[in-house]
Amino acid sequence: MKKSENTGQNKKHRELGLSIIPAIIMVLFVFFWQAAVDFFNVQPFILPGPITVFKAIYDERNLLLTHILVTLGEALAGLGVAIFLGIVFGLLMGYCKPVRIALYPIFVITQTIPLIILAPLFAIWFGFGFLPKVIIVVLMCFFPISITFTQDLIKSDEDMDSILKVMGASKWKSFRLARIPQALPGLFSGLKIAVTYSITGAVISEWIGAKQGLGIYMTRAMTSFKTAVLFADVFIIIVLSLVLYKLVELIEKRFVKRIDYV
Amino acid sequence: MTNNSINKLKYIFLITIMIFGIAACTTQPLQEPQPEALKKVTAVLDWTPNTNHTGLYVAKDKGFFKEQGLEVEIIQPSEGTSDTIVASGKAQFGISYQESVTYARAADIPLISIAAVIQHNTSGFASLKEKNILTPKDFEGKVYGGWGSEMEEATIRYLMEQAGADFSKVTIMTTGDADFFQTSATGQIDFAWIFEGWAGIEAKQKGMELNYIDLGKEAPVFDYYTPVIITNETILKEDKALVEAFMKGVKKGYEYAIKNPEEAADILIKEVPEINQELVRESQKFLSDRYQDDAATWGVQKEEVWQRYTDWMFANGFIDKKIDVTKAFTNEFID
Repeated sequence: MKKSENTGQNKKHRELGLSIIPAIIMVLFVFFWQAAVDFFNVQPFILPGPITVFKAIYDERNLLLTHILVTLGEALAGLGVAIFLGIVFGLLMGYCKPVRIALYPIFVITQTIPLIILAPLFAIWFGFGFLPKVIIVVLMCFFPISITFTQDLIKSDEDMDSILKVMGASKWKSFRLARIPQALPGLFSGLKIAVTYSITGAVISEWIGAKQGLGIYMTRAMTSFKTAVLFADVFIIIVLSLVLYKLVELIEKRFVKRIDYV
Repeated sequence: MTNNSINKLKYIFLITIMIFGIAACTTQPLQEPQPEALKKVTAVLDWTPNTNHTGLYVAKDKGFFKEQGLEVEIIQPSEGTSDTIVASGKAQFGISYQESVTYARAADIPLISIAAVIQHNTSGFASLKEKNILTPKDFEGKVYGGWGSEMEEATIRYLMEQAGADFSKVTIMTTGDADFFQTSATGQIDFAWIFEGWAGIEAKQKGMELNYIDLGKEAPVFDYYTPVIITNETILKEDKALVEAFMKGVKKGYEYAIKNPEEAADILIKEVPEINQELVRESQKFLSDRYQDDAATWGVQKEEVWQRYTDWMFANGFIDKKIDVTKAFTNEFID
């Protein structure tokens, strides 16, 4: 008992040690970026240094916040719908082969749609409100969730199925008892991909036509030659995506055991 | 184990619902309360807001639309889609260009231009001073960076042929949305097509010296209207009063901007704080004199200007039939 606690502690220490590595790399990267910009005397409209970018974030913080809330709202709403649909269709396709055969190609097709090109049509069909934005986020996030979940549902341990069958469990019962729990890691890896898409999805959705949001902010900065603000915007998008990702990882750690990342 | 896994699923559903909740909360403040019985109208810009659009924002901010019983929502669409959106009726009004309206009408899409925002074409070909591009003849041996449309090629070819230069000696490169300064400063292109009142002003702000070839002065045929305000024929037919009301507000907005460039710039900055403020102020000073320019009143369009460029487009094969230009624009809502 005591021993295992110790190894747990050691493991924690080791993980902490490992997580410092990417932090060091990031710091070094930012440092070299600044040094290179200074050394080569790069004009800020060609490539702004990190100091200029952080200053832009600070200067524009109030404006950024307004736009962040709009984009986050779109991303979360879309993500919510995508998670719900992803789980429902994942379960349906994982449980019932004909459904899987019928739907899978359609889902793949949804991923081949060049959304940017369809932008004006989206504006015509759904207007400039909240709905078209949510639809675009759903289109981008729904696929990885349903597909990874489905795949893990169909490739779960077959021995377990046989045992349960021998014990007299129905198909639904063994699906519920054995397959779903075993497919949770798949569901979560789909979720992780989906959350990283969600913010970008919301940004793209604003390009079809909007009044506010990080995507609008980005194009306005770009066309008025504010390169540093453009970078600030990109930085915020990265941070938001990382936070969402981390959140999913934390939830996953709570619910799915014995997973070693890296 | 059983209950556990079901619980996990329940949890995921719960989180989903929570996310819905959060999203619902964050979006609530966006829905502004509706004021008494104002008619809701949508106007789409051509792309990002800039000083071409000042009159619209002034009219909105100063209550010129409200006086007309309108509540106007100004939308930034994806680039080059305002025509389709106005044609579909999802927006009643939009910002476009003479060229686009001509294309649309040649394809039997019934758009109509109801005002010229700027009386003369304020665009042209710009290059860094050290490139020594003073006339279209100097385009020879140089690299042009543009959006990749045939219209650009034909325009450059026409200017060069007029000057007796060899068009085949120009390299045409598609740089898309990459901005003029980035591509010229890094030596990837030699000249580009810019709006004098925007990128031209920005060059001054950056302390860069440019040579600028004014398109309209170089060849009168290219002195067309850009941008224009458009609506579609159905709205014009069925709700003339709406067009009248909208244009009254817009005209008042631009007239205010002509008289008060500094206040107008401040209004634009207030309405669109994301854009470059110093650029807006300088650009506004430049454009306020040019909205109306030598015309009797703001917004007037001449048949001659429409006919000239339509003929050129037809002669160069951009449209396969000549449109009736008298139907493509109207001054009815200006006077």
